Amino acid sequence: MASVNNSKNLRDSDIQKKIDHEIRMRDGACKLLAACSQRDQALEAAKSLLTCNTRIMAYMSELQRMKEAQVMQRVARRSDGTRSSDAGPMDDRLPCKGKVAISDLRIPLMWKDTEYFKNKGELHRCAVFCLLQVGGEIHDTDMVMVDRTLTDICFDNTIVFSEASPGFELRVELYSCCSEEDYSAGSAPRKLASKLSSSLGRSAGKKLRVAMDPGACSPTSNGGAVTLLLPGHAVAGPKYHLLAHTSLSLSHVQDSFRTHDLSISGNEDCSYWVPLYGSVCCRLAAQPHCMTQQMMSGCLKVKQLGGDPQSWTNVYGVLKGTNLFCYHRQEDMEANVEPAFTIAINKETRIRASEKDPHSKAQSICISNQYGGEEVTHTLSADSHEETHRWMEAFWQQFYDMSQWKQCCDDLMKIELPSPRKPALVTSKQGSLYHEIVIDTSDDISTVTDILTRRMQELELRSQLGTSPPWMSLFEESPGGPRTPRLARHSPRSPHRLPHSPLSPLRCPWPGLLSSDASLTSDSDSPCSTSPCSRHRGWAEPLSSPRFRPRTLSLDAKLSTLRGRGYGGVLQCSCQPPSSSSLGPIPAQCVPQATLSCSSSTSSNSSSEGSHSPSSLDGTPFSRPSSARRSLRNVRAKLDPRNWLQSQV
Amino acid sequence: MSFIPGQPVTAVVQRIEIRKLQHGEHLILGFSIGGGIDQDPGQNPFSEDKSDKGIYVTRVTPGGPAEVAGLMMGDKVMQVNGWDMTMVTHDQARKRLTKKDEDIVRLLVTRKSLEQAVRHSMM
Repeated sequence: MASVNNSKNLRDSDIQKKIDHEIRMRDGACKLLAACSQRDQALEAAKSLLTCNTRIMAYMSELQRMKEAQVMQRVARRSDGTRSSDAGPMDDRLPCKGKVAISDLRIPLMWKDTEYFKNKGELHRCAVFCLLQVGGEIHDTDMVMVDRTLTDICFDNTIVFSEASPGFELRVELYSCCSEEDYSAGSAPRKLASKLSSSLGRSAGKKLRVAMDPGACSPTSNGGAVTLLLPGHAVAGPKYHLLAHTSLSLSHVQDSFRTHDLSISGNEDCSYWVPLYGSVCCRLAAQPHCMTQQMMSGCLKVKQLGGDPQSWTNVYGVLKGTNLFCYHRQEDMEANVEPAFTIAINKETRIRASEKDPHSKAQSICISNQYGGEEVTHTLSADSHEETHRWMEAFWQQFYDMSQWKQCCDDLMKIELPSPRKPALVTSKQGSLYHEIVIDTSDDISTVTDILTRRMQELELRSQLGTSPPWMSLFEESPGGPRTPRLARHSPRSPHRLPHSPLSPLRCPWPGLLSSDASLTSDSDSPCSTSPCSRHRGWAEPLSSPRFRPRTLSLDAKLSTLRGRGYGGVLQCSCQPPSSSSLGPIPAQCVPQATLSCSSSTSSNSSSEGSHSPSSLDGTPFSRPSSARRSLRNVRAKLDPRNWLQSQV
Repeated sequence: MSFIPGQPVTAVVQRIEIRKLQHGEHLILGFSIGGGIDQDPGQNPFSEDKSDKGIYVTRVTPGGPAEVAGLMMGDKVMQVNGWDMTMVTHDQARKRLTKKDEDIVRLLVTRKSLEQAVRHSMM
């Protein structure tokens, strides 16, 4: 009896501690909300507030359930006069718990086309996040800002619930809050708050006090207090509303991505409305403990049926997942040596105890499997009756677990926690180039490249390159003139010109170089040209012998000149521009993520090897063209419909 | 792998899970892709139907994570981590595969040999 009470008290205090913790978190969030002035801070604080409140509610209800159970037991005991055990009837088998992970949540949106093509100025934005709950465990995802440029709401988080039973119910709730109203604490909400708090009468106040006192909880007052504990002390600030929800369970668990329906609450007229398509796509995986943990281990004697009757093998058996691994010795298992042999224990296996062996008194266990068309039986014998009984128990439990966890026991589903994310690189406000490029039909290619040039400069400035690449020194030489351009001039077909062709205008010593030409072509005999919007940024560096020659600005002509130079391979960098200030020899086998990127305007079928060390780049100082240059080349390649691009990933 | 425009595409697919490899600053998968709705499908050497604008694997780095996972040259990528790849531009495809905070990509790919195998087993 005493032990029963003790465990109950332990659980009580456990939950009580959690509640206290959440209340402290909530107070912190409230204070932050009142204090912060920035919109996104307020949104984050409001999100934490909602999460804390939900957790408190969940813990309170659990507490209430436990109290009720306690009361029921006391009543039952009194009437029966018999002891009732804590966990209910002992004979009922309980399935093992497991890890349940949900990841890659994606909620498609369905904007009306009228919304999409609206004037750029008004961008209705909402802050959304998901709350995921299994039993008493509640997790929230990061917050995502949603506006009509988004086609789906994606949550990158992977959320793992570590102790879920097979009958779990994973509740997914999507909360959203309009991000535009002015909720910075005006006087109105405050007045409301004070009115509400003063209107709590004496009895309500008493209940509140009782509820806050940890020791004195009784089931009835608990229920009433729960509602009062929630912000009746109205907190000024953004408020999230439930936009959609769904419930997932074991039947939805699969090792791949699945789409589920969402129940949407709210309608178009709500401020927090986001037009949802009505489904959510995610990966819901489960790892029952019977698949990942050792359920039973011990020394056994194994004999294969049909073999020599005296040929018992001594093994150390480990029951895990769908296998009974038999190692020669226990040390082998700990050393991760391969087991001597493995007996399958799965849905098709048949296990029974037998008394057949007259030599040993102990019962033996027969395990039969079908391999192909053949039935193979292994006989196991333990040292004593108790051991045999424990092994049988373990096998029955394993079968039970597999029947409860169903498809999760066919194969081990992978659950991986994402590696800690590096801080996001500084990117320009508008994510895509499309926002910046407004191309009028009357403009020619120079406008595009001017915009790109500007962007390149921004990128360069932001990336704060320390040292300039060594080849830059060639251009900063005395008026003797940079050697290389002259060289190139003499041999127009030399592939050596490849790397320095699209000169970064920031770096280029030639004034007025911010024209489309220089940045696009590798013609070195005319690095500059007059362009409609040439900017003079005061490049004071001395210039040797600039050749200013107006050029035709036809893209086709440029591309054909480029192609004529015979550039090799098609390689692009993936994702972010690497730090272009890191220089060094190109390792022969390196995947050229960071390094090489040749112009991609040649035919696609040219070699696109990963470890591409093009001969054109050997021995030249231009081994690391800057990212901005690469992006320019990429854009040009993409603009040419005659290419069939290949990208390395 | 032929498709009729406007009709849903059905294919026999294989699931391939590739764990990205950390190479210096970058996470790489070890293969190259070609194709996309903005590319010229006639130049795709791997497609059966020369109007197929899907994403194809044009090269697999020997010993790389993709080869280890079972990806083969000429495979058509149908889906990446739940995202469709049959109607994307080349750059969108590349982006879906190279997300920085994803360590593992799960692809659904199809190839001629898969279809043939299924057809033979049904005969």
